[in-house]
Amino acid sequence: MSKKRISLIMLSMMLMVGMFLSACGSSGGNNGAGNQNGGAAANETDKNTNNSTGDAPKEDVTLTAWIMPNSPKPDKDFLTAMKPYLDQNPNVKLNVTVLDWGSAWTKITTAATSGQGPDILQLGTTWVPAIAAMNGIEDLTDLVGEVGGAENYLPASWKTTMIDGKSEVYGVPWFVDARALFYRTDALAQAGLDPATAFKDWDTFKETLSKLNGTEIEGQTMTAFGVPGKNDWNVPHNIFPWIWAAGGKVLNDDNTQVVFNDKTALDGVMYYTGLANEGLVDKASLEKNSSQIESDFSDGKTAVMVSGAWMIKNFATPEEDGGVAGKTAAKNYGVAALPAGPAGSSTFIGGSHLTIFKGSKHKEAAWDVIKFLSGDEAQLEYSKLSGQLPAKKVVMDSLKADPNYKALVEATDYGMSYPSIPQWGPCETALVKYFGNIWDIVAGVSGTYNEESIQKQLGDAANEVNAILNQ
Amino acid sequence: MEAPRVAESPKTGNSFGTRFKKGFKEYRVAYLFILPTFLFMILVHIFPMIQGIVMSFLKLNQFTLSQYLNAPFAGVKNYFDLLFNESNPVRQGLGFALRNTAIYSVVVTVSVMVIGLLVAMLLNRDFPGRGIARAAMLLPWVVPSYVVGVLWGFMWQKEGIINHILVDILHVMADKPFWLIGQNTIWAIIIPTVWRSWPFIMVVFLAGLQTIPDDLYEAAKIDGAGRLRQFFTITLPMLKPVIAVQLLFQIINNVYSYNIVAMMFGNGSGYPGEWGDLLMTALTRQTFGYWSFGVGAAASFILMGAMLVVVGIWYRIFRSELRAE
Repeated sequence: MSKKRISLIMLSMMLMVGMFLSACGSSGGNNGAGNQNGGAAANETDKNTNNSTGDAPKEDVTLTAWIMPNSPKPDKDFLTAMKPYLDQNPNVKLNVTVLDWGSAWTKITTAATSGQGPDILQLGTTWVPAIAAMNGIEDLTDLVGEVGGAENYLPASWKTTMIDGKSEVYGVPWFVDARALFYRTDALAQAGLDPATAFKDWDTFKETLSKLNGTEIEGQTMTAFGVPGKNDWNVPHNIFPWIWAAGGKVLNDDNTQVVFNDKTALDGVMYYTGLANEGLVDKASLEKNSSQIESDFSDGKTAVMVSGAWMIKNFATPEEDGGVAGKTAAKNYGVAALPAGPAGSSTFIGGSHLTIFKGSKHKEAAWDVIKFLSGDEAQLEYSKLSGQLPAKKVVMDSLKADPNYKALVEATDYGMSYPSIPQWGPCETALVKYFGNIWDIVAGVSGTYNEESIQKQLGDAANEVNAILNQ
Repeated sequence: MEAPRVAESPKTGNSFGTRFKKGFKEYRVAYLFILPTFLFMILVHIFPMIQGIVMSFLKLNQFTLSQYLNAPFAGVKNYFDLLFNESNPVRQGLGFALRNTAIYSVVVTVSVMVIGLLVAMLLNRDFPGRGIARAAMLLPWVVPSYVVGVLWGFMWQKEGIINHILVDILHVMADKPFWLIGQNTIWAIIIPTVWRSWPFIMVVFLAGLQTIPDDLYEAAKIDGAGRLRQFFTITLPMLKPVIAVQLLFQIINNVYSYNIVAMMFGNGSGYPGEWGDLLMTALTRQTFGYWSFGVGAAASFILMGAMLVVVGIWYRIFRSELRAE
């Protein structure tokens, strides 16, 4: 009897574990679905091959592209952007696989080491040097002239297609992630502030925030500034613009030593975290991530935040399509560059590049696709679909008709990026940790907030990053 | 009742070989059926494990990753750094993670076992609507763990619903505390885990309770045993095999816990902090964040060894329960 009982229990447990596993697997399901969609679309283009009206019939090629979830429907949006090309080139089939950022690194490095992977590969700007050093992607130096080369792109963005100190180019910027201030025009008007001067430099910015703090609109009291703390995926991107504006840098000129722990850098960190310490930021926001800060701003809980192009798209998208166009904030917001510090203005520039996988058997065809995606129409189209800023300067400028885009595009002039070195990934992991500790101190749950305690965290971070640089 | 124990029986002084031969002849077809699983296990379990052990002795980072198993040999350096090198940031980080995992595993395991057993005993009685009650109790467990992480991440916020209930409605605390930063983080990860895990335990206990024959309780009642006495002399001993299996599952589950913590702090990109980091999140960050795969493999292997010890202790304690048939 007892044996039967145990086996019965075991069986029921196994069944449950099975259910548990399948429940957990559903996050991966999207990718599979993405694959199938890509496959289905590809089959359709295959059928059309015979109806080709172009010049001499070209050989059939099947290309695989690995992209990240750049938009809510990443695979569909990518194929929409690619449609004109696929219509013109019926011999090309395109399979799209959407990786998620969490597992992408493992998949890409596995592909790079095994040689089995896609033809076209989207890489985050800070990953390009690492994968290039791993010999995972093609050297495109001789080809990038065909898309206009460096002059066509933002310097901060172009820099990340190369490894610092070398001349080879490994990718073409696809879209750009640039940050700027988003503010409530109605709140500024109520406080009697002029947007043109309110965010000029650190002093006026602090003054503006003090005046905005506690503004009441539609019965809701606002906190001046929404700032995500350590539970975010952008922790270093949120802090570095302020270090840069103070005159600080990440590493020294030859990328051998950390300098983000010097006095100027500390000034930047102290200014930014000081805003929270002085009550201009609701400390409750220090538990939140970027998207929660964005909802707070849309809900009218904060008057100013730092965000990117996707928010302009969200504010223009009606609720039924997942946007926030109906909110008061959507009709009463403006965009401005981050305030200038002692060393001038600055903002973080990230984004993604398109690269060709070293193991690809169709490098020419892959380059043709990248060339298409770098064309003005495709850049604009994909920017509209994804809500990201296009990488090409001409296309970026064409958006300037909208005053909000105009301010964002102008902010990119002050764009900075991290050192383009293969070890950046681990360095960033270390920064996430210690900058996270800084936010704990600011929130008042770990030690006292003063220059020494913050300097200590920067020093610990510096030790760890130095160790990574010299390994 | 008494099952013949081949190994200890004095009559069969046979060597393992002959016994195996005899067994093989007798169960030839059974072995054939087991074979595919066995091969599959080697392929997906043993083989990667050996690879992992080999990796733990290599200087395997982003620069040597392309050489994979031909990466430079590092000897026991990875292990040394992890265990003894005090200046190594990894070791410091793992210290916090180890402490948190210990607290987390013990508190979660004990809580879910107690809650699970109590509720199972409640639901084991006959009352109208029992089926509905059982189904309703299962709800938390149906929520995927990463969703639990995201949802509780919202609820724990300073202005979130939990503080609202604790402070504004119940007035348990004077000020709204932070839950997702600082020392409170440990509770912010324990409570959702307990919330999600106990229904599973409850269902299994319920199944166990239903196999206890009613006549045992009736006999005890006639002998004058009270409820408490019945629980300790009948229910608990009869459930021992179930408790044993559950305990093992819980320990393994909790030590290897990852989803809830990862999702609550920056969707896996953030640092859960000195009071929120668990061994698995720390190992993941070490391996895939710092890209030092060798050290990550070494840490995993140490953890595996430690878990084998735990399982060994568990087996010694419950050996008789698992054998008595």
